[in-house]
Amino acid sequence: MAVGRWRRSSSATRSALLALALLALGVGLAACGSSSKSPTSSSSTPTAAATGTAASLPAPAANGPGANKPPIVIGDKNFTEENILGQLYAQALEGEGFKVRLEENIGSTEIIYKALLAGQIDMYPEYTGTLLSTIAGQTKQPASSRAAYEQARAYVEKHGLTMLPPTPFYDSDALATLPSYASAHHLRSIADLAPLGKSLTLGAPPEFATRFEGLLGLKQEYGVAPTFKPIAIELSYKALESGQVDVQNVFSTDGQLLSGKFKLLSDPKHVFGFQNVAPVLRYSALRDEGEFFGLTVNKVSSLLTLPAIQRMNAAVSIDKQSPESVAHQFLVANGLG
Amino acid sequence: MSAPVTAAAGPVIPDYAAQSSSCEIDNRLFCWRWVQHNWGPVLWPALREHVVLALAAVAIGFAISMALALAAHRYGWLERPTTIVTTILYTIPGLALFELLAAPVGLNVFSAEIALVSYTLLILFRNILAGLRSVPAEVLDAAEGTGMSRTQTLLRVELPLALPAIVAGLRIAIVTIIALATIVYVVYDRGLGVPIHTALGEGPFKTELIAAGGLAIGLALLADGLLVLGQRLLTPWARARAS
Amino acid sequence: MHEFVEAFRFIARNGAVAGGPALPSLSHLALETLKVGAIGVAISVAIAAPLGAWLGHVHRGSFLAINLGNIGRALPSLAVLAIGDAFLGLGLTVVELALVILAVPPIVTNAYLGVDGVDGELVDAARGMGMSGWQVLARVELPLSAPLLFAGIRTAAVFVISTTTIASLAGFSGTLGDPIANETSYRFSGVLGAAICVAALALAVEGALTLLQRALTPRGLRLSEREPAGVLERGVATA
Repeated sequence: MAVGRWRRSSSATRSALLALALLALGVGLAACGSSSKSPTSSSSTPTAAATGTAASLPAPAANGPGANKPPIVIGDKNFTEENILGQLYAQALEGEGFKVRLEENIGSTEIIYKALLAGQIDMYPEYTGTLLSTIAGQTKQPASSRAAYEQARAYVEKHGLTMLPPTPFYDSDALATLPSYASAHHLRSIADLAPLGKSLTLGAPPEFATRFEGLLGLKQEYGVAPTFKPIAIELSYKALESGQVDVQNVFSTDGQLLSGKFKLLSDPKHVFGFQNVAPVLRYSALRDEGEFFGLTVNKVSSLLTLPAIQRMNAAVSIDKQSPESVAHQFLVANGLG
Repeated sequence: MSAPVTAAAGPVIPDYAAQSSSCEIDNRLFCWRWVQHNWGPVLWPALREHVVLALAAVAIGFAISMALALAAHRYGWLERPTTIVTTILYTIPGLALFELLAAPVGLNVFSAEIALVSYTLLILFRNILAGLRSVPAEVLDAAEGTGMSRTQTLLRVELPLALPAIVAGLRIAIVTIIALATIVYVVYDRGLGVPIHTALGEGPFKTELIAAGGLAIGLALLADGLLVLGQRLLTPWARARAS
Repeated sequence: MHEFVEAFRFIARNGAVAGGPALPSLSHLALETLKVGAIGVAISVAIAAPLGAWLGHVHRGSFLAINLGNIGRALPSLAVLAIGDAFLGLGLTVVELALVILAVPPIVTNAYLGVDGVDGELVDAARGMGMSGWQVLARVELPLSAPLLFAGIRTAAVFVISTTTIASLAGFSGTLGDPIANETSYRFSGVLGAAICVAALALAVEGALTLLQRALTPRGLRLSEREPAGVLERGVATA
């Protein structure tokens, strides 16, 4: 009986119901689903009081972790190491009771810096050298890692921003080669490449060819003038292993370098500059969040040595673990998050 | 406070290697373990976001197309300009439209959704209009004869009879949008395109590719199937056509 | 809005990046895109049109023909390309393979529905006049199904251009997708400039194929612009 009544009921009602249901479903899900990703996985909820962490950091100040404050927005660029850094800072802050929202994969330096200036994000991890060359447009190389940081911080402070202390590690461009090639040509530093001239094939992304931290600097400082082969970053190690290139532009913190299958050439003249990571943030955000915020961020930064970041990069790119999980394990092992 | 401060004895580095197996490191075809571990943090959020993106786009596109189709049904001259505009939007390749919108609108959900909605308009507009027009003249006369107003005719006669064409359009739209939404990540960091993009940068990492790609395809086929079912339930009088 | 100004400047410079590396010019990238796309469409039409037309002619395999369209639509281009990359490496051959996989379904479906949907009485009349099966197909069914067939080819062509640019996201270089996938090299002005070119290219191809369709459609058919009955209900996009 019920079926018959259903059939006889207004078919218009049914079509209207279908349209309405679809619309309501879409709008409803859009409303709940549009929140950005939280830095921690759904299984672990950050608690305000973590007894383990209290021992390593002073107690939160009066204007500490915000009950009534809007969340602080952290951004990161669209590559692995930045993803890990973003997760590290965000999870550590959440662990100390701050309200954090992590916006991942925002884009290149140009784009994320613009977002910071516009107030769309409050903080992101930046490389001191990159800030100087890409944002500040500086062509003169800083003389040391400390100088790079000081100059970068001076620059951003003119734009309503500030920079917190840098990490111990720096992630500069580097040149890697296969151990067999290195021993065949007695290669220890980049300077040893000069005699090879054009017989050397060097692979790197296209922009390497016209940068000072690239072919220009290699020519000027070392007299190295190889045959250039454009290779996308993701294909770096494949290109080296397959013999497509003799020497490849890589990054000094790449996880692949831990395998022992590749040899890094040293850069005594620091053509590739200094690229420590320092969180750059809106001055107003730092002031509003208080001293404890800065202390927490600095604590994380201080833990990031070259071996640490390399292992974390390896865990993501080789062991295929997620940046979120890798960051979480690191923080827990070191009494944070 | 400006010199890098190193923790006293260096940080504790977890033993990451202990957790991974050779399956992932050797990039074998499919590592079920990886999927289990990463379902919660990576795959499920991406799937959820993907569903929201697609459903919202089709819902909004449906509302707009319905309005346009009803208007064009009433004022025939509207059909041609509407078809031209929606065809242009449909023809512009997805990647290009996302970037073109990102310039004025920004790298956010709005660029993504505006583009996705644009792709639904041509399909839904044409199908709804064709469905409305397919109602035989005799039926319309009969409705008028029984004293129905224009609105009543529309709601009780024309739309129900147009339902097969409308649902056909919805099927095409939802499947197209689910597939297209894998590119959304270039302007908005959500959806199943995110793990696909991550996987591409790692080798490519086969397991993640197959998992995310498989989810996208499965989702599209599921949506298509659900709509077929829905149509059968709603229009039992329509003879089941091929497929 | 100034980004669009920068983008047009980028186009005017034929894709040279100010103070940047030596990259292929925009015109070169556009030509490559057309080349890759044309090969893909040609192969797809060669495979799909005869198959679909024949199935429609013998009125068999409707389930296959129509669901092929459904499944083809459900395949995300990026996923297909990425899987090709993972197992075969992304060279021209693999990209063309992916293009064919994605372009064949709409052509088969439309060819099938076009030929299958030809009025049975016309076919009977033709047979009555003594035409063989092949002649019926060539002289009656194909011309009458031209609009649908062309619609399918147009859909496939635009789809192919779209997928060719997406191939750059998967790591295939040489097409207009390159600037979009390599923002660090080309900067946002390059990304936007390339996007404008891609859009223009797709619209131009669609326009050209539409003109071709008008030229090749028998005059009598051109007068009636309606879709054949039942086509929309069976899930065909006649875009």
